[in-house]
Amino acid sequence: MSTLVIASEDNTGNDPCRRAPLVIGQQTDVTITESVCRVPEQIGTPRAWYAALLVSMGLTAVFFGTIVYLVTTGIGVLGNNRPVMWAFPIVNFVFWIGIGHAGTLISAILFLFRQQWRTAINRAAEAMTIFAVICALIFPGIHLGRIWLAYWMAPYPNQMALWPNFRSPLMWDVFAVNTYFLVSAMFWYLGMIPDLATLRDRAKTRWRQIAYGLLALGWSGSARQWQVYQQAYLLLAALATPLVVSVHSVVSTDFAVAQLPGWHTTIFPPYFVAGAIFSGFAMVVTLMVPARAYFGLKHLVTVRHLDNVNKIMLATSCIVAYSYAMELFIAWYSGNSHERFAHLNRAFGPYAWAYWLMIACNVLVPQLFWLKRCRTTPWMMFLIAAAVNVGMWLERFVIIVVSLSRDYLPANWAMYYPTIVDVLMLLGSFGLFFTLFLLFCRYLPMVAIWEVKHVLPREEVHHGSP
Amino acid sequence: MAAHEQHRSSAGLAGLLAEFASAEAVRAAASALRSAGWTRWDVHSPFPVHGIESAMGLRRTGLPWMVLAAGLAGVFLAAGMQLWTNGIDYPMIISGKPLLSLPTSVPIMFELAVLLAAMAAFLGALGLGGLTLFGHPAFSSPRFRRATTDGFFVFLSADDPRFDPAAAQTLLQSAGAVAVEPLQLDASSRQPPSAVYWALATTVVLAMLPPVLVTWYRTGPKPNPRIHLIHDMDFQEKYLPQGTSPLFADGRATRPPAPGTIAQGALEADEHLYTGKIAGQWATRFPVAPTAAMMDRGRARYAVFCAPCHGLVGEGGVSGITSARAVKRREPNWVLPLSLHIPTVREQPVGQLFHTITHGVRTMPAHGAQIPVEDRWAIVLYVRALQRSQNATLDDVPEAVRPRLRP
Amino acid sequence: MDALNPEKRMIPSAKAGAAAIGLFLVGLAGLGCAAALQFRQESSGGYFLHSYLVNFCFFTSLSLGALLFVTLQHIARAGWSVTVRRVAELLADNLAVMFPLLAPLVFTVLAGNGILYPWAVSESGAADHVLHQKQAYLNPAFFVARGVGYFVVWCLTARYLLWLSVRQDRTGDPKLTLSMERLSAPALILLVVTLTLASCDWLMSLWPHWWSTIFGVYFLAGAAVGALALLILLVVLLEWAGPLAGEVTIEHYHDLGKLLLASVAFWGYIAFSQYLLIWYANIPEETAWYHPRHSGPWAWVSMGLLVGHLVLPLFALLSRWPKRNRLSLAFWAAWLLVMHWIDIYWLVMPAYDPQQPRFGLSFVFCLLGMGAVYMAGFLWRCRNRSLVPLQDPRRHEALAFHND
Repeated sequence: MSTLVIASEDNTGNDPCRRAPLVIGQQTDVTITESVCRVPEQIGTPRAWYAALLVSMGLTAVFFGTIVYLVTTGIGVLGNNRPVMWAFPIVNFVFWIGIGHAGTLISAILFLFRQQWRTAINRAAEAMTIFAVICALIFPGIHLGRIWLAYWMAPYPNQMALWPNFRSPLMWDVFAVNTYFLVSAMFWYLGMIPDLATLRDRAKTRWRQIAYGLLALGWSGSARQWQVYQQAYLLLAALATPLVVSVHSVVSTDFAVAQLPGWHTTIFPPYFVAGAIFSGFAMVVTLMVPARAYFGLKHLVTVRHLDNVNKIMLATSCIVAYSYAMELFIAWYSGNSHERFAHLNRAFGPYAWAYWLMIACNVLVPQLFWLKRCRTTPWMMFLIAAAVNVGMWLERFVIIVVSLSRDYLPANWAMYYPTIVDVLMLLGSFGLFFTLFLLFCRYLPMVAIWEVKHVLPREEVHHGSP
Repeated sequence: MAAHEQHRSSAGLAGLLAEFASAEAVRAAASALRSAGWTRWDVHSPFPVHGIESAMGLRRTGLPWMVLAAGLAGVFLAAGMQLWTNGIDYPMIISGKPLLSLPTSVPIMFELAVLLAAMAAFLGALGLGGLTLFGHPAFSSPRFRRATTDGFFVFLSADDPRFDPAAAQTLLQSAGAVAVEPLQLDASSRQPPSAVYWALATTVVLAMLPPVLVTWYRTGPKPNPRIHLIHDMDFQEKYLPQGTSPLFADGRATRPPAPGTIAQGALEADEHLYTGKIAGQWATRFPVAPTAAMMDRGRARYAVFCAPCHGLVGEGGVSGITSARAVKRREPNWVLPLSLHIPTVREQPVGQLFHTITHGVRTMPAHGAQIPVEDRWAIVLYVRALQRSQNATLDDVPEAVRPRLRP
Repeated sequence: MDALNPEKRMIPSAKAGAAAIGLFLVGLAGLGCAAALQFRQESSGGYFLHSYLVNFCFFTSLSLGALLFVTLQHIARAGWSVTVRRVAELLADNLAVMFPLLAPLVFTVLAGNGILYPWAVSESGAADHVLHQKQAYLNPAFFVARGVGYFVVWCLTARYLLWLSVRQDRTGDPKLTLSMERLSAPALILLVVTLTLASCDWLMSLWPHWWSTIFGVYFLAGAAVGALALLILLVVLLEWAGPLAGEVTIEHYHDLGKLLLASVAFWGYIAFSQYLLIWYANIPEETAWYHPRHSGPWAWVSMGLLVGHLVLPLFALLSRWPKRNRLSLAFWAAWLLVMHWIDIYWLVMPAYDPQQPRFGLSFVFCLLGMGAVYMAGFLWRCRNRSLVPLQDPRRHEALAFHND
């Protein structure tokens, strides 16, 4: 048992002479393990968790109910119509994929930058990625119409002379999102193996021992295992970094390769990626602020961690604002009447309310994060993050629906109104997401225990951290 | 020596498990143990200890190379797949993109490279890390449970060539071990529990069911229609031809048209044109004014439909090839076709000739179904010309042509 | 320790000053030769002006990339880069030398002859409807005012950051680090905005009918590659020459190499995004810019950029060893510096001659001349300043960190 450097209670200060501690209080390996493992090992169901689970399972039932209704009745129950052929389902798809990006950024990109504070939140963030991608993957499947023929998208030899159209960004999407899902799942699971072994070794019942033991694949913590494990972890992080950038770039090409004004802009790939990270971090805050309080992890997921997350949110908000500004400027600069109209229409047309709400939520509200008080007060950041979630959903709505409703042919213009099925499906997807996340919190280790232990200062030379 | 015999006599010993107080302690011990020349040993810790690899003298694995190879394989596989399916096997020009289009192939090349590389990293980690080996001897020690929380251990395997329990114990304790514990080899059978075999057998049997069922359903006739789960638009709310309907007395879904229904273009109002009769009597004139084009048409159509039996000149008998063949084959029921130039035929009005073509006469079959009405009248016109040609006198031949006649 | 002996971390001032003046004079002479050579052959001077623009944008982008590096390191509160940060700060401050070099561009635009920028002709709006739409932005007066504005912002920012950092050498006050951090965030925002607009002004408007929303990001990515490459070369040189000896370890090179790899990948990603989207939609307004770069001899330059700026360095820098070897890393840094120059050349020169990539003696004089002026500016700045932030509170981290 090694004792660690005594840390102070508040670690949000910024003293250039020493690095802020990453955990609060006198934490040892044992106390860290205890704090995290206590949650899955709890006998009996925590009541608030159970209530939340029931609510989210209800929403999930609504979700699957609307899907069954949609598949058995037909696409006509959605609000999609000429000219807005693509509406809520694709908006929701992009929304959920975007949310998933924060997890990979925290896990992979911050790992490559040696940001040790990521260790307290990367497990939950990666889980959030997987669940968000699951929610996202459902939408393209169901909005195609004949979901039972979805296997036609795979390039398998057949007697119909049928190959997928690889020149379409929609096919690139199929590969990109599935790759993202599999790689994130592998990364998440690999990272969890040592912690599953911890749960196995602490298991009080035989069933738990077998369950966690099977999942831990016989991990014994040997140095040889750690060595190849760390190599694989680094390689997966190095692979996941360009992957996460490429996935949302490919999603953006769904729109950007078209010729529609408002869609065809070269800045879409990096703009979408920045927006995805932005919305993802907002969801991380939305999840972690209540989770750390309820599950008693405030000493591991400290205010400093949230402070750093909020700073990244501020930075990505600025990038998104830059993208909005560039689009506006270049639309004017181009002198192209269609481009200019498309942007004027966004700001002053029938959907102007969505546009200005989006600006307020994505650009104006996050500027509050310049103030340290906002960055370090949980309820404030929770509200700002909620606004960002709304704003980022609206951004996809504005891009997709508003541009389609006013395309090149004025005779084709029409308003889009979502149906009750659209709205229930959106709300229901949140149900699925929260159900999976709540189950994760209850049965799997929420914090990467071994990583937190690994980066804590011991007597010898250690790495730096902001 | 005794050590050698001791090695053989402690065959039940799996190894020694030594516990250490901290990460630094176990790292220092690792250096000491490495200098002592041990090879089959390992350090166990709840997190990777800094510098343990150099202390133990571990070499880097080849995992990065596996990952690179898999990534490159992904690039080429994706490029090949896309260029071949969309450019060569079923070339389709979509929105003007070239058949072998590299820019559009790049995204999937990248994604597949990352996917295969990541799978190589993941599976490589499991493989090279010896994961899924659930039977490590250290697990038999209750102390070892702390290895994943806060314990630091060294495990020395009895397979080490220098293994000697007493010497090893001394060395470990001098290296700073808090406790040293001998571990026994697991005496229980190395066989997996029978439940595993049952589960495997059940899975295999269940996995065999679908192909067996499919084969059974696809071979041989079955009394029932196929299982058809996804109907698409295969069963529609409409009546099919030859189907039954309870609405009508005769039970048929297909109804005959109402009496007096005439299809478009089927109203044959002109009696002269369609029947060759005028007020019940054979017509003696043509319903359409004869023209040179009509005569040419008649000649061509005559050659197609009439000449095989009646001959090109209309002589009948065996001058037509069909008739000649029938005679040659000695067809017992063959009746020689009439000559068109005999007085009875020559005296027939054009309407009657038309009627004969349309409905046939005696053993001549009807040709009304094959020959449109206008063409029938053209044939009649040509037949009249033939008849005139075979009953001509010298005075009928034009002056200019007479020198060409044979004497 | 070093605060007592700062001379160890400096270039000897007298030598630096003399070298600077010498290089400056040589540089001016080179530029003069280039101009003279050109005006003799072609009275309008279009070739000279375009080649001048290429080199001007190249060297400015190196300093802008350095400023980007400095602000990012402050925002991230990085410890590893402390000992190399001063070199980047000095490179960023070198923008003050590039400021007066803006003059030829100013003069040619104000002269209203349209040799360099077609929209600079005073009556261009009357003839060309599209240019007329942009006249509020693309007019000589506003262009010059903006150019001056950009440099004012950049020079002030770079100088202030340098001043704070050098002040800390003497006082060792940790609050200065906090000031630099607090300044860096708004400074970065300003830098990105001004850099974007500068790239639109100086490079995108060469083709005034064309536009691309990602152009600013593209220029920024290239600047990052160039600046990191130059930084690596300077660090290798200064470590060998003495001032940085013992201040940088192989871990620094590894990290700089990783950043170089990342910036190369980022550049490739941005370049490909722009290309793919324009190629795919195939709208003539937009493909017109790529058209000359697609055909004839320019196509070879484009392929060369793809292979040399992206594919080769990406694979070369992927594994550990090339980044943990000074010679190998210096080679690839030099390679990428050249590639970045070719990138700027590829951006500019098709506007002058869409059929043929032109390169000759005049171009070489211009490049070497401006390079000499640039290095002169850098050496001038190195006088009486330590090349390492002597009393940065995180300096010890730079020496202690290691990559696993």
